[in-house]
Amino acid sequence: MVSVATPSSYGSPPVDPRVLYPRLDWSRELYVLGIESTAHTFGVGVASTRPPYILSSARSVYRPEKGGIHPREAAAHHARVAPEVLRAALDAAGLRIGDIDAVAVALGPGLGPALRVGATVARGLAAYFRKPLVPVNHALAHVEIGRLYTGLVDPLVLYVSGGNTMVTAFAKGRYRVFGETLDVALGNLLDTFAREAGLAPPYVVEGLHVVDRCALEADEPADLPYTVKGMDVSYSGLLTAALRLWRRLGPRERPRVCLGLREVAYSEAVEVAERGAAHTGKPGVLLTGGVAASPVLRERVAAMAEARGLPWGVPPLHLCGDNGAMIAWVGLLNYMAGITVEPGEAVVKQRWRLDSVDVPWR
Amino acid sequence: MEARLCGRALEIGGLLYRGAEAEVYEARWFCMPAVVKVRPPKPYRHPRIDELLRTRRTVAEARAMYAALRAGVSVPAVYLVDPLEKIIVMERLEGISLAHLVEADSGRALEAARRLGSMAARLHAAGVAHGDLTTSNVVVVGDEVFLVDFGLASLDADEDDYAVDVHLFMRSLESTHPDHVEDMLKSFLEGYRQVAGGDAVENLMRRVEEIRLMGRYREERRRSVWGQVEQP
Repeated sequence: MVSVATPSSYGSPPVDPRVLYPRLDWSRELYVLGIESTAHTFGVGVASTRPPYILSSARSVYRPEKGGIHPREAAAHHARVAPEVLRAALDAAGLRIGDIDAVAVALGPGLGPALRVGATVARGLAAYFRKPLVPVNHALAHVEIGRLYTGLVDPLVLYVSGGNTMVTAFAKGRYRVFGETLDVALGNLLDTFAREAGLAPPYVVEGLHVVDRCALEADEPADLPYTVKGMDVSYSGLLTAALRLWRRLGPRERPRVCLGLREVAYSEAVEVAERGAAHTGKPGVLLTGGVAASPVLRERVAAMAEARGLPWGVPPLHLCGDNGAMIAWVGLLNYMAGITVEPGEAVVKQRWRLDSVDVPWR
Repeated sequence: MEARLCGRALEIGGLLYRGAEAEVYEARWFCMPAVVKVRPPKPYRHPRIDELLRTRRTVAEARAMYAALRAGVSVPAVYLVDPLEKIIVMERLEGISLAHLVEADSGRALEAARRLGSMAARLHAAGVAHGDLTTSNVVVVGDEVFLVDFGLASLDADEDDYAVDVHLFMRSLESTHPDHVEDMLKSFLEGYRQVAGGDAVENLMRRVEEIRLMGRYREERRRSVWGQVEQP
């Protein structure tokens, strides 16, 4: 199933991007297509140098009937839906492929087989229609779509998703990662617990993760291990302890495990974000990534930021999870800064770290 | 005994430093100059988890300070640990941080680095890693050297944690005192060798090199840009 979003559903950016990216030349009217396929989502979006900047975002999400993401099945899904998603994104933007100035693609980090589908589609489009091909780092795209929609010029960023948990901020030409998970990501922790405990799939019901949902039944949180090491978090011990306790308890007591797990996991993430905010002195906090959709996590980040007297923000719901629009947006910025790649050299990078990417346009 | 009759037990003054986790206030403890380290509640944590965590961390920090003291390492005298209030009242050191001393008087700083090396060796021999061994967390009072801020210390440390201590010390030199890296490190290792012996220093430094060769070592990434963490 392909879902299509346009500015009428996710709104327009509150700020003129020229404020966020003063180094770039915004005089040309440009349109960039972005392709996302790093994990379970195949998404295509269109971005422009003219308002409303993000013209459309179409996607199809691979949802396994049981178990977690199987990379090969995710790739098969992406290959199946690619033409339809591509067409939906162009139609919603009111453009034809000929109107596009460049094709951007997320080359990593992510699952190899899934990434290769997006890369193949992008290389094909670029070569066949003779468009420049623009490489985009997926994590950078989550950060920049967040900046665009919150108007936070130089925030401390908490990026949380199924595959990533990191605290990052910009300094000297790059986003520096100074806190991250030592093992599993926050989203992965919640999903794996839900799956093993028999709560999922589906993982999200009516906008609320099933772990959050199960936690609603509890009065007190179970006591589970809380592991923050310096500015890093660790979730693997928490997962093991939570599952062990879950299996030992009866159905009436089990929600306490959900509440304990949720509270410890979110607190760890927000605590390292607070440390990051204290140490960098950044004037705002941005929450982004798939888990940023969680209303409970938003509440916690808000509480931390407000206690420190900092503004905070989160992108519109549709743009929190993986999407092609954010790839298109960073693709546009990269393209304006002259960052392109020959189709023959556009290989995927499964472990492409955010802190290895030069960001010349900030 | 006279001191105990003087004034109130604890009078709290102005804020000296606000970190992410704790706040440090100027204070008087029975008229003696003191500081209070407070771990205030965090609005983003479940109250029960918050309570438990702040209690554990307060106690852990005091235990690490006591373990350091037992190992023969000078730390501020702990006057009061109150796990209910999540506070540690400790001696106020009227000195200068090693970070400042390096710039002000490099001769004295070298001697302090040598003594710090010996202290680190004793600390490590006792199974304690400081966890944040930067020049900002070393206070020089006259010719005495004190180690402060045990908030990130670990009591069941292993060899990697010891190597990280040395690495962090080196990193703090490199980021804030680039002209004094070699001589300060040399003095530090000299002091370490006097206590632990030459073989131990060789093993330690081999591990430090391994950690630094990881290239994208976490501490290195963040400290290279922002300097030290949690400067009191």
